[in-house]
Formats: sequence, structure tokens, C-alpha cells
Amino acid sequence: MGKLAGKKLLLLGERDGVPGPAMETCLKNCGGEILFSVSECFV
Amino acid sequence: MSSVGIKSYAYCLNHVPEIGLRYGSTPFTEREEKGESEFLASLPSHVQSWEKAASYAPNLTYIGALSYDEFEAAKTPWIENYLPEPKRYGKYGEIMPEDEFLGLMTLCDVFDLVWLEKSFGESVKAKLLKDPIMTEAIVARLKGLHELAEIEAEVKDKKARALYFGGKVVGCVRSGHSVDDCLFAYVLMENLACKAGGVLALLHLIKNAGIKPEDIDFVIECSEEGAGDMNQRAGGNFAKAVAEIAGCLNASGVDVRGFCAGPVNAIIAGASQVAAGARKNCVVLAGGAIPKLYMNSRDHAKKNLPALEDCLGNFAVLLVPDDGTNPVIRLDALGKHSVGAGASPQAITSALTYEPLALIGLSFKDVDKFAAELQIPEITLPAGAGDVPLANAKMIAALAVMKKSIEKADMDAFIKARGTIGFAHTQGHIPSGVPFIGIACDSIRAGHMKRAMIIGKGSLFLARLTNLADGGSFIIEASSGGSSGGSVTKEDVKALILEALSEIAGKLA
Repeated sequence: MGKLAGKKLLLLGERDGVPGPAMETCLKNCGGEILFSVSECFV
Repeated sequence: MSSVGIKSYAYCLNHVPEIGLRYGSTPFTEREEKGESEFLASLPSHVQSWEKAASYAPNLTYIGALSYDEFEAAKTPWIENYLPEPKRYGKYGEIMPEDEFLGLMTLCDVFDLVWLEKSFGESVKAKLLKDPIMTEAIVARLKGLHELAEIEAEVKDKKARALYFGGKVVGCVRSGHSVDDCLFAYVLMENLACKAGGVLALLHLIKNAGIKPEDIDFVIECSEEGAGDMNQRAGGNFAKAVAEIAGCLNASGVDVRGFCAGPVNAIIAGASQVAAGARKNCVVLAGGAIPKLYMNSRDHAKKNLPALEDCLGNFAVLLVPDDGTNPVIRLDALGKHSVGAGASPQAITSALTYEPLALIGLSFKDVDKFAAELQIPEITLPAGAGDVPLANAKMIAALAVMKKSIEKADMDAFIKARGTIGFAHTQGHIPSGVPFIGIACDSIRAGHMKRAMIIGKGSLFLARLTNLADGGSFIIEASSGGSSGGSVTKEDVKALILEALSEIAGKLA
């Protein structure tokens, strides 16, 4: 996760794939700043 | 064990490309923002005819004109391998052409909102009378026939939305209020189309079940539309409005909402009421969603593919007490995606599959088919949304490996055997597991299947109230002989002891 330290993150999730909140949980200690997180639905 | 019988089911499609071209949310938004853009100019050339839609393998599977086995064996890509002849009717329902659907919307309108041009309306009336599920009394509701000039004036001056057939204006949906946007023509059109789809499914259900409309006790509607006015936006009630048109004089009804998880939750709600004896029977139904027509058409047009999202979907399921003769829903093994379950695919899949199975001592291999989100992959893949049913089957298989139900090497075989191929339109609530209920019940009755799990997932975050998604699931299997024929309860034991004691007492006397 070190490579994300200091980076700004935009998280685009999908309901039947990996939702935004799941990515937020995984990345919360990566050292990056989550600017935007969303889940989308195309169905 | 509490269980409820599934007596019958109906599945229909309404092929409505001209409504979609103008009022599907993607083309509608494009037109509002950019006018007649290049995309909108190209879209009609990607539209498929009713004949094509009624020869398309997934559509025929949805209405029961193609068995699931035949569908699995059908040559792909389906868009290059249309079946030789179009079929309007299947054992579950029909694919209704757009002109007749406009007539159906009109006869479902009780507020003089839908106007049809006179000669068009008369021709549609004659066609509707030929539909085996229509009665003269229902078709006689088709009123509101007007001169074209009146319709054009209503569109030009009074914010009505035009209805088209063959590229020409043949009617309109009028606005219900000058200020209240809950009653604007677009919203009323969306709601009346949803109501009409629900009516069509209910009429087919009544025929398929061999019952009279008056036999129905309660209706739960579970679409994603919102009927109401500015003081009670989405207050309802589609269910009772649908029951009224179908002549279900002894029924009342209520709406249940939960995005695409609505149908699974509505079926659980209806089944619980029937199991408790609160309702003699319950129909769970839904019509389709106009805004989702051509939702992904931008990608289909860009890739020069047919724009397949041209059908409104609808369904109806009749739940009855478990008398041992019908496949049943088990109410002791319901999947629930709780608030605290987490958002990871593993957590969701566990809550909806592993946990309910564990409750009744079953494993993944005890389920013949997992039906989760049944969108047609030829719609979603070109739009970059993947093969949704396959993705869900992969997640279930991966969890089965983690829970040591299967070996990792057996994952592909598990997915092929127990996953489900998508055959439902991207109509939100429609593809969310429920299209497989009919196939599962027929297979269980024929002895070809032991158990199926129906899984629905809802994108709650779209309403901006929560970031959470939702999901629900239930298991369908053969009845074990009636609602008292399952596992023995404490009350059953007490009753047996009392019966035995009274027998002994009788002999001693």
C-alpha cells in the first residue's frame, strides 16, 4: 500500500463488483487521501 | 418449519421501442441537454423490430417459450442467432407489441390522462380482444379516443407527452397538475406503464393458475416506480390499482419498495402473511420501468450493436398455503444483508447464501441453482458492466471454496452447473432473481431439480439516503408434505402426547 501514500484517490465502485465502501475500508490505512467514493449501478 | 406454496407464475414483456427512444432516461436526458444529437440520430438504426425481439432467445426464455435447457443449448451470440420464427406467447406469458401496449395503458387509466387517436385506438381495441387473457369487460375500459388535432394541441399547449407508433404521433399522456412535478406527464406515463405491465402479468397469472380474479386475497406490488403527489411522493398504491383493473374484487394490496431487492423482500413479506394465516393467498407482482429502456444504448450504438433494452418486464407470482402439492419457499432460511454485514463482495455473498444455508444445515452443494441478478449479458457486457449473473456465480463459488464445500479445482464446474445464465432485461427489479422462480418450480415439479436459491440485490445508494446496498434471498424446494409436514415443533410433540394420553384414558375408562 506504500505506493498510494500521499496520493489523492477517486474510488468508483459497482454494486455487483466491488462497491465504493468496500474499497474505502481496504484503503483507509494506505496513506492516500480518499477524495471521492461512489458505487454505481448499470442494471 | 414454515413454508409457503408457489402455485403459479407469469412473466411478460412489453416491446416498446418508441416509448424508449423518447422517454428512456438516457435518450430523454440527451435530448433535454443537447437536442437532436448525433447519438439520438443514430439510435433508431439500432432498434430491433418486434419480430426480432420475439425471436431473441433470452426474451423467449423469460416468457417460457423456450425452456431453460433449450436456452442453455442455444447458439451464442444470441444477437446473431435469432430463432427462426417469432413467438408472441410462452407458457408463462407473452411479448406484447407496442401498439397494443399503448391500448393497455389507456384502458388502465381512470383519470382521462391517456388519449389515443380515434382510428389507432379502434384498431388496437380489436387487436387486444384477440389476446386470450383479455375479456370484453377489460377492453371496454379503453376510452379516451380523440382527434389527432386535439392530441397535438394537448402536447403543444398543455405539457402532455406524445405517444408514437410507426414514427407518428398516435396519442399522448396528459399532465395531471400545473405545478406538482409528481403529477407531470412524464411521471404519470411511467406509472401508468408500470401499472399496465402489472395488470398484464396478473391476467396471465390468473389464467396460468386456473383461478378466478375474485379468488385473490391480497396483492403486493414491488416495482421501483413512485406514485403519489407532492404531499406524499411515492405514497402508492400500485397493487390495489392493478387488482382493480384485473377484477380482483376481493383483494386489497400494498406496495413494497427496495430497489432491485424489492421483489425478494416482497415475496418474503407475502409468504410470511400467507404462512401466518393472515392472507388466504397473496400475489406478488411488478410492472416495468420506462426510464431504464435504452439505459445502456449509448454503448450499444457506439459499438454498432442492436440496442436491446427495448422491453418493459413484468411478473406475477401466486403464493398459497403449503398443502404439499406445490414447490415451497422456506421461511426458516432467509438471506438478509444486514446493516452491519459490511460491503465487501465476500460479506454480501456470505449473508445471502452461506448463512441461510447454514441455518438449516445445508451446504452450497445442496442447491442446484443459484439465481442472482439475471441480466442479459449481451446488454451489460458492451456497456462495461460485465456479465452480472456470472460474476455473482463466481463469488458464490469462491465462497464455497473458502467454506470448504468444494475444492478450488472444482470452481468452474460449480459455476457452470449451479450458476444461471441471464435472460432478463435490465429493468432493475425485474432481473433480480425472480425470473427464475417459474423455471425452478417447473423443474422441481418434474423432479429435475431439488432446490434453488433466489437472490436479489438493491442499489439503495442511488436514493442518496445511505451508502449501503441491500440484498435478500430465499430457498425454493419440493414440499415435504404440507406446512405441518416438516420438522416437528414442541407444539406438535405436545399435541401428539395429549392425543396418545386421551387414547389411553379412553381405553382405561
